[in-house]
Amino acid sequence: MEAHELVDVAFSVNGSSVSVSVPPRMHLADALREQLGLTGTHLGCEHGVCGMCTILVDGDAARACLLFAVQCEGAEIVTVEGLGSPERQHPLQEAFSHHHGLQCGFCTPGMLMSSYDLLANAPDHAGDDELPEQMSGVLCRCTGYRGILAAVSDVHGTHPDGVPGPRNCATRTLVGRGSGPASSQAPSGDVPADEVRAAAPAEVRIPTGAPSATVLVTSELRSPIAAVWEVVSDVSRLVACLPGAELTETLPGDRYRGRAGVALGPVKLSFEGLAQILDRDADAHRIRLVGQGRDTGGSATQADIRLHAEPGPDGGTVLRAEADLFLSGRIAQFGRALAGDVSRRLFEQFASAVDESARTGAVPDVRVAAPSPVRIAAGAVADAVRRRVRALRARLRRR
Amino acid sequence: MKAAPFAYVRPGSLDDVLAELAGGDAKVLAGGQSLVPVLAMRLGRPATLVDIGSVASLGDLAVTDDVLRVGATVRQRRLERSDEARAVPLIGMVMPFVGHRELRSRGTVCGSIAHADPSAELPAVASCLGATIEVAGTGGRRRVPAAEFFAGAMTTAATAEEVVTGVEFPVARPGEGYGFGEIARRHGDFALAGVVTRVRVDDDGTVLDARLTGFGISDTPVTRDVTALLDDESGIRDLAADVVDTGGDTHGSTGYRRRLFTVLATRELQRARRNARKERP
Repeated sequence: MEAHELVDVAFSVNGSSVSVSVPPRMHLADALREQLGLTGTHLGCEHGVCGMCTILVDGDAARACLLFAVQCEGAEIVTVEGLGSPERQHPLQEAFSHHHGLQCGFCTPGMLMSSYDLLANAPDHAGDDELPEQMSGVLCRCTGYRGILAAVSDVHGTHPDGVPGPRNCATRTLVGRGSGPASSQAPSGDVPADEVRAAAPAEVRIPTGAPSATVLVTSELRSPIAAVWEVVSDVSRLVACLPGAELTETLPGDRYRGRAGVALGPVKLSFEGLAQILDRDADAHRIRLVGQGRDTGGSATQADIRLHAEPGPDGGTVLRAEADLFLSGRIAQFGRALAGDVSRRLFEQFASAVDESARTGAVPDVRVAAPSPVRIAAGAVADAVRRRVRALRARLRRR
Repeated sequence: MKAAPFAYVRPGSLDDVLAELAGGDAKVLAGGQSLVPVLAMRLGRPATLVDIGSVASLGDLAVTDDVLRVGATVRQRRLERSDEARAVPLIGMVMPFVGHRELRSRGTVCGSIAHADPSAELPAVASCLGATIEVAGTGGRRRVPAAEFFAGAMTTAATAEEVVTGVEFPVARPGEGYGFGEIARRHGDFALAGVVTRVRVDDDGTVLDARLTGFGISDTPVTRDVTALLDDESGIRDLAADVVDTGGDTHGSTGYRRRLFTVLATRELQRARRNARKERP
């Protein structure tokens, strides 16, 4: 391949088959971070000294900055994201937390992956006398060493013959940060290659693994259930009730293309996405849809949404929305709590728009009727701040 | 730091590798653990990298009665874990000091030898044991003794159009003992000074010969017959003054390196002698 050409490389990351298009000189750490949005792999020196970018390649720890992505065709890669999830941490992650084996945290991904390799592949060399030398391949610059060694030693003691495998490896959609095309390959393999490469996803995938946030919103609507169901089951009206969302194309198989905008402070994301209704039960007034979207800036989101309408008091309706949200890329960095706050706000606005549409029979003009995404976000942030202040006051009172 | 742009090829056969190298301004990429930092710091900007990772014939690792043969794409960690490596006990002593685990996962044995860093451990092992390095070019294959292979800092007897295809380490004989020691700023980093030793004894425990290779102390590994110096500490000090000719740097002066060399040589020669006796029933 010539120096300026992009090379397609297919490998597996944390259990997902992915392919990236990279220039030959792009190292694996950049491909993971920039093209796949896996920013857990940190970069320090980029010439093999500091070990921040340590990952597993075919089961062994390796420096992701000393490996060109083009060399990784067919490789099996595990990054710190694959080691464990917030809900299901790996024993090493729990031990690092318990022993305060991190201060600034910058070396933590490298330390975790290096120590995983040690305990999984060379547990005989993980005794306390050898441990400092064995962990010397990753540098900590904020003096967290003692806690790190204590954590590794602890896990070695509880798992002398090797640690459990990575806990968060599953097929999922990985989307990059916009510096180049990247795609997850559908496991069935029946999606044409050009469609997979398109900017917006072509196949709706049901997300797996632990969601980034789960939202449960119950709203009491004044409209009767029949009218509410009429809105909910009509996709064009349903989408119109969602602030910032727009339906652009109706596809066969109950699939829909659309876009949605989210703004959060200086962050403005515009998702191009695809949604599919998986289940529609008119008698029980239940509907389940999954959607996925990708921002040009490299954030990705997937959602598994269940809506359920029940008769409410005074002839009204109780609309229950439950959603599992899966975020990756830049948006994931905002933290789960904030993602949940924003989503909860969106659903509250959605419910009131449904109520209005059910009452008036009209399609609500979300640009007018619903607050702008910016205001929703601001409201969510204010809520979060208020909650934190309340929690702080409560703590102070208990003293 | 990012490498400058380069073209990348991954030939499937040795002939194709040689054809690519003959095109000029190409470098062989095996594990890349020494090459990539050079590229990242833009100390080197080859037009083409020739990845030899897909040449199946270069992945052999085998031991015979005489030699342990390690093919060009055999990674250091694979050798470290292999049963074959037991035939050369010095390999087992040295491997934990070759870079870090994370580097040995990708780094190759032959790559370290071909890179010929004067502070690296494996070239010193090859020198001390009198290994043979196999080199292939469009003109054919040739076998170069380690004593002739290391020509200078990062310079070898192999030309830019040749590729190291394998290295043969002599297997240990009864009565041989080994020593290895190095001083580095951090475990796994390149040594400020290091030594590899081999001592042979006969059935009575009498020393037949002793060899010592110093590394990190000159622009190539330096090997000497030190049979006469085994119990001669002032002789080792004189040897240090003779062979340690690398200049001082921020990590240590020439005098400090001579002191390190003296201490390490004395200690590791005695260790090799003890090991050699143990090996003799």
